[in-house]
Amino acid sequence: MPLSRSQTRKLAAGLAFLGPNVAGFLIFTLFPLVFSLVMAFTNWDLRLHNTFTDESVRFVGFANFSRLFREPDFLKYLGNTLFLMMGIPFSVAGSLGAALLLSQDLKGRTPRARSLIALAILLTISCAALVVTGMGASAVLILVTGVGCLVIALGFGFGQSAYRTLFYFPHFTAGVATFLLWKRLYAPLNGPINNALRPPLAAVTALGRTFGPELWLGLALLCALLAALLPLFAVRRLSRLWRDGEAGWLPLALGTVAILVPGILWPFWTKTTGSTACVAVGFLLALLLLARRLRGREFTCAFDRGLGPVLITCLGGMVLVFALLGLGNVLVMLPLAAAAPEGIPAPEWLTQYHWAKPSLMFMGFWAAIGSNNMLLYLAGLSNIPTELYEAADIDGASRSQRFWHVTWPQLAPVTFFILVMAVIGGLQGGFEMARTMTQGGPAKATTTLSYYVYIEGFETGHLGYASAIAWTLFALVFAVTLFNWKFGNRYTND
Amino acid sequence: MRLLFAIFALILLAAGAITYWTQPEKRSEVPVIYWVIDPAPARPEQIALFHQWLLDQGHGTTHEIRNREELAVFRQRRWSAAMRAAIAAGNPAGESIFDPNAAVELPLTVVAPPVEMRLDSASNDLYKKLVQGVSGVAGDVIECYNGGQQMQFLASGGMLADVTESAKIHGFTPDRTYPALVPSLFYQGRQYAFPRNVAQTMYWVNLEVFRQHNQPPPPARWTLETFEEHGRAYVEAANRDEPRRQWFFADRAMKTELRRSLGLSAFNETLTVCTLDDPRSAQVLALIQKWTYEDRILPSAADRASFETEGGWGGQSFQLFRSGRYALFASGRWALMLFRRFGSMELAVVEPPYAILPNTVLSGGQGTVFAGSRHRTFAELFLAYMADEPYNMQIVRSGDALPPNPAYTRTEAYLRPPDYPNEWGTHEMWSTAAETIAITQSFSPYVLPVTVMRHDRDAEDEVMNNRLTPEAATQRLAAHVNDAIARNIRESSRLRARYEEDLALQAKIDEARAVGRKVPAAWIKNPFHHRWYASQGWLEDAEPSHAP
Repeated sequence: MPLSRSQTRKLAAGLAFLGPNVAGFLIFTLFPLVFSLVMAFTNWDLRLHNTFTDESVRFVGFANFSRLFREPDFLKYLGNTLFLMMGIPFSVAGSLGAALLLSQDLKGRTPRARSLIALAILLTISCAALVVTGMGASAVLILVTGVGCLVIALGFGFGQSAYRTLFYFPHFTAGVATFLLWKRLYAPLNGPINNALRPPLAAVTALGRTFGPELWLGLALLCALLAALLPLFAVRRLSRLWRDGEAGWLPLALGTVAILVPGILWPFWTKTTGSTACVAVGFLLALLLLARRLRGREFTCAFDRGLGPVLITCLGGMVLVFALLGLGNVLVMLPLAAAAPEGIPAPEWLTQYHWAKPSLMFMGFWAAIGSNNMLLYLAGLSNIPTELYEAADIDGASRSQRFWHVTWPQLAPVTFFILVMAVIGGLQGGFEMARTMTQGGPAKATTTLSYYVYIEGFETGHLGYASAIAWTLFALVFAVTLFNWKFGNRYTND
Repeated sequence: MRLLFAIFALILLAAGAITYWTQPEKRSEVPVIYWVIDPAPARPEQIALFHQWLLDQGHGTTHEIRNREELAVFRQRRWSAAMRAAIAAGNPAGESIFDPNAAVELPLTVVAPPVEMRLDSASNDLYKKLVQGVSGVAGDVIECYNGGQQMQFLASGGMLADVTESAKIHGFTPDRTYPALVPSLFYQGRQYAFPRNVAQTMYWVNLEVFRQHNQPPPPARWTLETFEEHGRAYVEAANRDEPRRQWFFADRAMKTELRRSLGLSAFNETLTVCTLDDPRSAQVLALIQKWTYEDRILPSAADRASFETEGGWGGQSFQLFRSGRYALFASGRWALMLFRRFGSMELAVVEPPYAILPNTVLSGGQGTVFAGSRHRTFAELFLAYMADEPYNMQIVRSGDALPPNPAYTRTEAYLRPPDYPNEWGTHEMWSTAAETIAITQSFSPYVLPVTVMRHDRDAEDEVMNNRLTPEAATQRLAAHVNDAIARNIRESSRLRARYEEDLALQAKIDEARAVGRKVPAAWIKNPFHHRWYASQGWLEDAEPSHAP
């Protein structure tokens, strides 16, 4: 049916409004995207192939991708990227915690707020007393206390808006300025972080020198025992889910592997044979328990049901086992480190190979707590119907039960969205931090995949190869997002 | 809404038109050329001197002003402030020529520079230069840093103009600068650059701190052992009452100079193979590690990170040297620009320590011409200006490294600047070293210098973090660089042909050396090996040739 004159005019007006946006998308997004895909299959080197040279660009098929997978440092860069992503769960938890805090009513009229103000005054007086008595030498302590008091006072004056603004501050502060600030904070000899760490480290050194190695060995074995018990508990829980039809074969298998990985790797890192034996026994018992409980399934389900939540829980458990075993190692080594003349040294952060990555991760964690994730959680919290809490109150639910059975499930869609976006951002991220703070070093410890794209594209001009890396990164992001979507989304909709 | 949309569209169009009409090119009466370089304080003076130099060299354009009307028209033309200053300085009427109330004697012939040079410090980043260059929109004169490293990179992309012939016409041929620097001006046998300043790194000595700690000042030339002895004695005395090491002998070791002093370069004689897997390379890394973590005469990365958050021009290293945190400071003569701000420091200069061959690395900024420049002749004239007296004497006065033309280092103004008697005695050290022991950097045409630098830094990091032994780190370093060479050869047929020739030449050199025979200097393409072979008596020619 032909359009009337008025309809044509409306259509033209609509197209005129859409035109600039569509043109911008086509020119600045779609075309570069397609172009970079084509580039990934060429040998385009900016120095060899440009308007001033006579060599022409040629198609090389998958040569760039093949070179990437043969590149000895590729796995290292991928590992660095994944390492930095280990901060994501903590960041999400931090954002949620911040949102929960900021959704509380902290105005001065409530008894809780009054007690907070009293605490602030007390801290300020303590601070002044330290200075007056000459004991307040640590400027960091005074600074932290002062800032704490200021924050509390602001909250008293302006309520939640003040806290929300303060928490959101890192997000709208210029990245480079923040990085330089953190570089200063991380200064090994005179940075505030190490200044704050030195007294506790001195105390630990004193403890290490006071007590004999037997005590530390005992504590290390305790850690190993806990680490051995954790897989038992995890396997018991996994098998119950499997029997109840809440988890399929795939999550059961992958979850078991994830939880057992630390035990398999432990012999390479352990400092004591006792802990190895302890872990080995615990893990064998876990396997035996699993074998025993894999009979008489009551309900069946799809092979991949429950993969997302099971995997997330088991990976969390794996990190915990690693942490416990690592702590055991630290305890074993403590007397030796404490015996050194200078005691236990504070980390050298950005300049030390093993600390450079965690340093960037901690900084990312700080920045992520008050980011858009917190705002999303705040929005999510305000959307939870109050009837649910009232019903929980009538049923006599405690605070933690209210959280785990009302708040957390209601926030599942938000959490899912945040996780997906964080994983995408994590895989693509790390460039600005590394470029500003470490230049990808020391010894490539902080070179991420996105930084590698920059090196190849802009430092050496290998545009074809850089595009291949970028598209490989895209494929990785796409695969992980698909996985999240397929398994995480199902959990969300449950 | 449609009205709003139309208004915004009109505003955007108007803004576009205003931008177009206010473009610098539109506001200038003469062609504008851009100099892509950092915005150091000396730049306006250097540009003003160039405008003046053009007039002095007879490149000015003349304007006949016969009456009041023509004078009014001349005044209203689009002269920028820099051009007004140049015109005023170059004409008898002086500044009054632009003063509407001043009485100017008519008729008058006014000479104006034929071109206006402007600074473009926003495009000074190497990758901006590259991207703008290959897109055809780079500045006309492009500063290339690191003694030829950036020039090699940009010239390999074809975006720099070959100035071999124009250098002969305008007089900025290689014989106007230091012989040792000549190879760094060439790419594949053709001249692409002329030095803007000449830098080399030696140790500045803060004599006050040596006296303060009752230590003898270091000798002007010293071996590795003497350096270590002095260093250990100094840090022992300086840190006697300190709970932790706070005072260091030097801010850093000079890795390239150390390797070269042992007779090792990053590449072989024909620049076809990276030779950093040589045991001497590992020896240097082990030595630096020892000086840093065992003798503690050099600061570790952690010490440096604690001392300073920012390096580079005007960074905190200068303050740390001034305060005595570092008794020796590895830098160039250009550091004087900052030292002079600190007041009268007691200074001396010493060479880097050596094992067999005393040496310094001759480097510095270079002026190059963009191949796509629309005003190429003027850009080439700027390079000629850099070889001439006004520019060189400006460098001498400002203390910005060494002047490109060594003739000006023999002037009284260079040797004994009247305002800075505390510096007397240091200036000769720089010029003498540049003319005796300095060697320019070795760049292979088969691999990007930035690639070598990155892997070299990683190798040092691996050793300093105790992740690899010096031997393993240097093996890996050489393997990475040689892999990159092999890949580049595969990619470019042009490079491959040249590489084959160089490999054949290398085989001849190896064969000659295996039987202890001398080799012709022309066979050797690595500037370091020229000097090394000459020092060992392995060259057929009596004097090493500096020809590229």
